[in-house]
Amino acid sequence: MDYSISKFLFTLLGLFIVLNWGMLMSSTMRRINARVSGRIGIPWYQPWIDLVKLYSMRSQLSHGTMFYLGPVFRLMGGVGLFLFMPMIYGSQYFMNYSFSGDLILILYFQFFGMLGMALGAGEGGHPYSAIGISRGLSQFTTIEVPMTLAVISLAIQYHTFSISDIVAAQQGSILNWTVFTNPLATIAAMLSLLGAFGHSPFNLVRAPNEIPLGPPTEYHGSFLGVLRTNGAILHVTEAALFMNLFFGGATSWIELIIKTFFIYFWSVFVGTVFPRFRIEQSVVWFLKWPTIIGIFSIILFM
Amino acid sequence: MEQVIIITGILLIILGIFGIIRSRNLVKIVLAFTLFNTGLNILMISIGYIRNAGAPILSQIPGQGEIPNIVDPVPQALVLTAIVIGLGVTALMLAYVLKLYQDKGTLDINSFKDLKW
Amino acid sequence: MVGPIYIIVIALGIAFTLGLLGKASKSAGWVFVLAGLAAMTFISAQWLVALLEGSIQGIQIFTAGYKPPYSISLQMGLEEAILTTLINSLGLLSLLYLGKEMVQKGVEILMVFMVFIMSMNVTIMTRDIFNLFVFLEIETIALSGLILLIGRKTAFQAGIKYLIISGIASGLLLIGIILAYSHVGTLDINGIASANNGLFRIAPIAGFLILISFIIELKPFPANGWGIDVYSASHPGIGALISGASATTGLYLLYKVLPVAGEEYLYFITLIGAITFIGSNLTGTAQSQPNRLLGYSSIGQVGLVTMILGLQPILGDRTLYLAFTIIISHYAAKAGLFWISGMVNSSSIKDWSILRKKPLLLVLFGAFILALIGFPPFPSFNGKWEILMKLGESNQYHWIAVILAGSFIEAIYLIKWLGYAIKLDEPVENQSNFHLTKQIPVWIMGLVLFGMGYYLNPFTHYAEAINYIPLLFALLLFAIDFLPVSIKNTITIAGLAYYFMLLWPAVEGDLLRQIFLVMFLGGGILTLLAGYSKKGKRPGFYSMAILMYAGLAGLLTAKGMYDFFFSWEVMTAGSYFLIIRGKRSLPHAYSYMLFSIGGAYLILGGFAIAAASLNGTSLSALSMVTVLPTWVYALIAVGFMTKTASLGLHIWLPGAHGEAESDVSPMVSAILLKAGVFGLLLLFISIGATNPHSQEIWYVLGWIGAITTLMGNMSAAFQEDAKRLLAYSSIAQLGYILFAFSMMTHIGWLAGFTYTINHFLFKAILFLIIGAIVVKLGTHNMYEMGGMIKKMPFSFIAVLISIIVIGGIPPLSGFAGKWLFYNAILEKGWYFQGALIFFAGIIAFLYLFKLIFSVFLGQVKDNHRNMKEISAWVLIPSYILIIGIMLFSAFPKDVLTPISEMIMPYFTSETLVWDGTKAMTSMGYWDGSTIMIVVGTAFMLLLGWLIVLSAKAQKVEQFNIVYAAERPFRPETTHVSHNIYAGYKKAIGFLVSPVITVFWDQASTFVLDFAGWIRRIYSGSIQNYAIHVIFYIVVFYLISLGGL
Repeated sequence: MDYSISKFLFTLLGLFIVLNWGMLMSSTMRRINARVSGRIGIPWYQPWIDLVKLYSMRSQLSHGTMFYLGPVFRLMGGVGLFLFMPMIYGSQYFMNYSFSGDLILILYFQFFGMLGMALGAGEGGHPYSAIGISRGLSQFTTIEVPMTLAVISLAIQYHTFSISDIVAAQQGSILNWTVFTNPLATIAAMLSLLGAFGHSPFNLVRAPNEIPLGPPTEYHGSFLGVLRTNGAILHVTEAALFMNLFFGGATSWIELIIKTFFIYFWSVFVGTVFPRFRIEQSVVWFLKWPTIIGIFSIILFM
Repeated sequence: MEQVIIITGILLIILGIFGIIRSRNLVKIVLAFTLFNTGLNILMISIGYIRNAGAPILSQIPGQGEIPNIVDPVPQALVLTAIVIGLGVTALMLAYVLKLYQDKGTLDINSFKDLKW
Repeated sequence: MVGPIYIIVIALGIAFTLGLLGKASKSAGWVFVLAGLAAMTFISAQWLVALLEGSIQGIQIFTAGYKPPYSISLQMGLEEAILTTLINSLGLLSLLYLGKEMVQKGVEILMVFMVFIMSMNVTIMTRDIFNLFVFLEIETIALSGLILLIGRKTAFQAGIKYLIISGIASGLLLIGIILAYSHVGTLDINGIASANNGLFRIAPIAGFLILISFIIELKPFPANGWGIDVYSASHPGIGALISGASATTGLYLLYKVLPVAGEEYLYFITLIGAITFIGSNLTGTAQSQPNRLLGYSSIGQVGLVTMILGLQPILGDRTLYLAFTIIISHYAAKAGLFWISGMVNSSSIKDWSILRKKPLLLVLFGAFILALIGFPPFPSFNGKWEILMKLGESNQYHWIAVILAGSFIEAIYLIKWLGYAIKLDEPVENQSNFHLTKQIPVWIMGLVLFGMGYYLNPFTHYAEAINYIPLLFALLLFAIDFLPVSIKNTITIAGLAYYFMLLWPAVEGDLLRQIFLVMFLGGGILTLLAGYSKKGKRPGFYSMAILMYAGLAGLLTAKGMYDFFFSWEVMTAGSYFLIIRGKRSLPHAYSYMLFSIGGAYLILGGFAIAAASLNGTSLSALSMVTVLPTWVYALIAVGFMTKTASLGLHIWLPGAHGEAESDVSPMVSAILLKAGVFGLLLLFISIGATNPHSQEIWYVLGWIGAITTLMGNMSAAFQEDAKRLLAYSSIAQLGYILFAFSMMTHIGWLAGFTYTINHFLFKAILFLIIGAIVVKLGTHNMYEMGGMIKKMPFSFIAVLISIIVIGGIPPLSGFAGKWLFYNAILEKGWYFQGALIFFAGIIAFLYLFKLIFSVFLGQVKDNHRNMKEISAWVLIPSYILIIGIMLFSAFPKDVLTPISEMIMPYFTSETLVWDGTKAMTSMGYWDGSTIMIVVGTAFMLLLGWLIVLSAKAQKVEQFNIVYAAERPFRPETTHVSHNIYAGYKKAIGFLVSPVITVFWDQASTFVLDFAGWIRRIYSGSIQNYAIHVIFYIVVFYLISLGGL
């Protein structure tokens, strides 16, 4: 267990890389999206502009302590995931603080930010926030079902919950990747990922044209800036989780960037093709094929 | 002869029970009950009877000399007691019938079904 | 020593003298009779005392100096002394009770009364069968006379039915007697019996007729419509006599003539008793008229004793003692109940709520009801226990089932009645009359009941272990019930603390019991602290709380099955009275009690079957069950699962916990549920991980646990009532615990303990705080709350921490449970159950968010604008518990390592190893302390950063939100809370459609309808009843011919 300053600084560096890559990735995806709909889209540096603008806004309104803490919790959720996630396989420094816990810690730490955000938005008192949260929670319960099944399948396959060990087991050949050794679990997890990233058809939580922006409705200025920061970190970290579990991990930042791009792109790709589900539809959808595939992925390894 | 008496007793018992079950009139039911009691008493006597034996109260029959054996006195004593008790029960029943009649002004058994379930 | 003949002499003398007295001095006559009865009681009591001391032998006396049949032979042995004492003293008390009515009616009724008591004395003492007949008839006549003289108009109808049917029965008896006499030549009961056992058999028909006529006198189901009419129509004072004295005598007579009929009839007697016990109680369930209900119950109890008499070959020389335990409970309880019924003077059991005006009578009423059902510390408890154990040892499982089923059915209506008295509104109009002379006999019967419970205990050899001090303490608290809450609360807390210190050495070195002792009594003290916030006197609360905690503590110190079950029942009774205190708790406390009693009887059945293969009834011996082990384990497990509210047996919990008082909810949820967990643990430890007979059980329990969790959490998400939400959450948490322990692996048990401890901590906090808020805001509905974070910040923080634990979010201790769960499931290979559990775990977020959001966040309602923080007395225990959570979260190793060592011996391998603060399994690793540090540091840094960025954030007023430039002044329309998971419900809400509730509803409707259908045979017609009796006799004659 390494609590040294250099470790801390390297981790900060990793966080910085992830943050910027996350922003670049999101602007890229938005551009792709725009092209699909026949628009030109935003410039690639738009997220940075937005961030600077948000952080420097002068009017700051707070609805109360929990409202204030909500973004902190949310960002802590993203940063925490990053901290507990081994980013670069084989790198002593960019394993971050993953010695604190294994895959299960990652799975449950997701809730940290979600809960804090939900509470903060709740104190904002805006009805749309509550509606967004209720939708998000409802959908999330079933998103996790195929994911859980896939994780169990993986744990049976590799007989470990340690992400580093799972990555290590996939080294050597591309054929050692989980996507080839356990395709069913991969499919289940990748379908679950669609919901986790919250793009269409599963973007009812923020539903821009029904309940503009959902939970963060009341957030603005630096609060929203914090949330945006977190979004960038979270997308990369979550994509890195799937990369680690199913696509052989990454031994360098370049590899990480390429792999996370394609993992993220998968959800954007589906999102541009399919229209939005209503909540009862998405809930049922996740409990159908993804779950069945997940169950089979376990049966195959029992 | 004994069989006739036994059969008579049993018939009276059955008749009494039948009367208790079938009669509509309360007084008739009480009467049926006394029939039942009488049948019982006859049955008891006949069971305790010993052929060719004399009544237990007599030691000799005038003109016929000593009685060689007497009928067991106990059943007869029992019957006496039973008759007395039967009397008491019948009297009490009639008292009830009177009270019931005062209550509803009828003796029809079907009028007295207030207590049920 | 005054000879027993003087009982008769005094009675007859007084009866005749009364006639001379004339009508002039009515009350003088009453006093005269009272004195006579006192003398009779004295005579029988002195024989009883002397015989018990052993200073004299029982005697047989012959009147007039002749041998039978020319004289009457009377016997005065121990049995006769006991029974005559019971009858004479009941006569004395009845006369006292009936004083006013008797005096008004004149001396005739006093004469009849005296003859009635006397006749019962003679029937008990006589050894001559014809004499028996005579005095039986006298008893009939006297009783009919009593009914006629002192009764309502309907009593006349009952009286004539009684006369006719008993006339038929005694007719048959006469035939039987004469037939027996003609074959044997004697009327002496012993003579006939010895002839029967000796060279030649008397005509079978004679034995049958004698037997059946005594059975008919006992009013066997279903040929007993006339008997019930007598109970329901006669004056309650007479009802007490019929039930307490007449029925007792009848049972003894049956016992006395049994040898005449012969041993081959014993099975037959048992069967008749069983049918009566079940049938009469079943019919009683549909009854709402108190006297009639008592009649059904009396006949049911008589059926039970009849069964016991028939089971002589199995019960051996304990038969009479065991019968006596039931009889004495029934005697005292039923006399008391009839007397109370006379005072309440209503035709509906719903009007018994008037009893609340007389707390002592209400308490006695409760004691009588519990004594009838067979709760400790009453004699019937010991009796039923020993009967069942003996039956188990002889493998008579069907009789065990009959006794338990009958007792349960009896509880159905008795508990309903008790609930009505405690909870229903007082009747608008009532004719009740609580005259002191009427109350005194009831008090005395209460004393008799408690006294006999205490006195009879040494006769049950395993009852020595029982600790009565807590029960006395409960009694003491009842005695000082007039004091204000704060004093009683302090005394209770001090009592619990003292008891804790007292018990701690007893559980030294036994970590399992130490953990539960801390939860039971430590938790008890903490939840009681909240009681300081209550006002008024809370009558009865503290006695009952002590009862519950005494029961809980007793579970821990129990060495044998007997004391375990004793404590279990004490706890059940105490908790029932606590739960029913809630405003709308009546139906929920009722179903709680029924499930508890049902579960307790399953446990009892399991213990009884286990007794078959054990030497003794030590708890540890459960591991050596060889007879039907799977059944034993399954029965006991299901019994405990009624307390842990597992799926199918859970329907009582939401209401019981949701509607209970604000500080009772945490007691019954955080603490009481753990009793079931403790029971299951004891059972599982006894069975052992490798027991071949229980693998299927664990597999099934695992699935039940998983499904319970899913259903519990999903139901919680759809609740609008804050406390019910928590209650469903409890169901789910207990599902986790059941699942974890069912895995029967080392790490699974660690997960189970983690969940148990966590649930204790957070559920106590949540119920304390939410309960207090519900009271403060005056509504259970969460959508009527909102915005309380600003009013009640401390409550909010406590609730927030609790829900973080429930959710299993790192870094708090809930995550330890989740992590252990994942490892345990992978190790055990229960993947799909596990997936279900995790799915359920995420659904938990739905209700957790709903709870904290709806209550604390969103928009504050207009009528709550002036709310203040809840009482500090609620916050103090909550924050003490939060300290517990924090310690457990930061130093999980210090808690889990000892537990791990403790459960090591039960399993083959230890799968969890520690490296510093890091826990490792073969699968993964987790370092709770490091996570705390990392998360804590990062959180503070980020918070600092945001504070730097938005230091000048300006607080805004309510409703100042981005709302299309409008200001929504109505909080009701802005606070989105009601049915917020509508979409979810639409999608998979069908999973929690209340099929189980519907099932149980229909089951209870079915039972009631069935009972209603059966009781239609009681058409009210004399002639039908006569037909029933004759049919009954014929059918049983055929059975006795064919089956014996």
